Amino acid sequence: MFELRNVTKSYLTPKGRRYVFRNLSLSIPPGKNIGLIGRNGAGKSTLMRLLGGADIPDSGSVATDRSISWPVGLTGGFQGSMTGRENIKFVCRVYGAMGDDMRDKIRYVQEFAEIGDWIDEPIKTYSSGMRSRVAFGLSMAFDFDYYLIDEVMSVGDAQFKRKCADVFQEKLQQSKVVLVTHNMNEVKKICDIVLLVRNGEIQVYEDVAEGIKAYNA
Amino acid sequence: MEDSRIPALPRGILHFLKMNSPVHSFARLCFAVNILKPRSSLQIQKSVIFALVLREARARFGVRRMGAVWTLVEPICHLLIFSILFAIIRGRTVADVEYPVFVLVGMAPFLLYRNTALRLMDSLRENRSLFGYKQIKPLDTYVARVLVETCISATVYAILVFAFAWYGFDMSVANPLMWVATLALGLLFAFSLGMVLALITHALPSLKVVIRMAFFPLYFISGVLVPAAYLPQAMMPVLLLNPFLHIVELIRAEVLPHYTPVDGVSEGYVICITIVLLFIAMGSYRARRLHLVSTKNG
Repeated sequence: MFELRNVTKSYLTPKGRRYVFRNLSLSIPPGKNIGLIGRNGAGKSTLMRLLGGADIPDSGSVATDRSISWPVGLTGGFQGSMTGRENIKFVCRVYGAMGDDMRDKIRYVQEFAEIGDWIDEPIKTYSSGMRSRVAFGLSMAFDFDYYLIDEVMSVGDAQFKRKCADVFQEKLQQSKVVLVTHNMNEVKKICDIVLLVRNGEIQVYEDVAEGIKAYNA
Repeated sequence: MEDSRIPALPRGILHFLKMNSPVHSFARLCFAVNILKPRSSLQIQKSVIFALVLREARARFGVRRMGAVWTLVEPICHLLIFSILFAIIRGRTVADVEYPVFVLVGMAPFLLYRNTALRLMDSLRENRSLFGYKQIKPLDTYVARVLVETCISATVYAILVFAFAWYGFDMSVANPLMWVATLALGLLFAFSLGMVLALITHALPSLKVVIRMAFFPLYFISGVLVPAAYLPQAMMPVLLLNPFLHIVELIRAEVLPHYTPVDGVSEGYVICITIVLLFIAMGSYRARRLHLVSTKNG
């Protein structure tokens, strides 16, 4: 479960401070797949980063008792001049997967992302599809209670999407997901609860269909 | 309410860990429980710094085959050109040593310290995307940077010392232990300075340009190319405020047996400044640590 208490989050821009959320309080019940929907720039990704502890609010607090993945986004923390393998190793080291564990994870990501010997090429030579496949596969190689997925699944081709769905089916037996997406079919399929982010406000819809209706309205 | 999957975890302790409160290290610990075996904070920090050092070195060396060579050749050329150029212009010895030796001994550590301070200043911006991994903290990126910078610098220095010795200069160090201690003190000073600068420029990004420019004259007022005794005596009280001058002079005095540093140079001054700076750096880091990882600021 997540609990946000009086969360205020702003960013400093050259033109002054812009508030994303002001005095936001809400709690999200445990054991639900969470969908974050809203227009571009509404604050979905910010909210996701706040939930994951990757970013911190200006004031207020975010609390959870579960393990949460790093935000799996389109570019996600990769060093462009390092090869895919080196980037995977980097994350393995940070998460303490050494030796055989590390080899397993690398093999898993290589197979999942279907990059073959591209794994030894620098990440910056990858297409955006390949990059997001690696990013998604890498997060799937580790076990978390919640996965933070930021529009990664929407860029792949049909075959990769099917694969994502399969892996998800398996992962979702044990884990939950916080999904940022514009694809309402995904939301319908995966999510149990929808958070509609609009104008710095968040509406929680326990009924997914109702949330999607509000989003489309 | 309760997910039945994790009965093994100590509920009482895990209950409501605030992610943005000082119990963060413990949150990180339990974070690792589900993935692999639990690690202590120290183990996490060690593996993070190790990973960052490798990454940093990779980024410095670049992807090209000659990347590592260029990383070393550039400072070697810098040092060689300056030391030989000044030897030709001045064409004499200083304190009974050849001029190139004299310049190398002071300039190599000075460049290390300057680069350390300036690189720490840019560290936050360049590592921003990494803070999505919660284990990685800004302090880890600072430490990793200093380690990489020091390794490169030490390698360059070693190559040049061997080259000079092979050419026929006397490269022996008069007081090796004190020399290493002084070098380490200088590095600690540079680290603290770099951290303070990083924290200042995080709050006021426009100051970066000014600070970079301020580092340029340091070259001349720190007595890197000439003994500090050659600097204008009238200005000495002001010049002696600069800790870099003290450090460079002290390092030379440890290496060159007949070198006497200028009056007023003291280890105590550098130690005091370092302690004060380190205290300020750590204190404001502690106060600002949550803002440092926050995206889009600074």
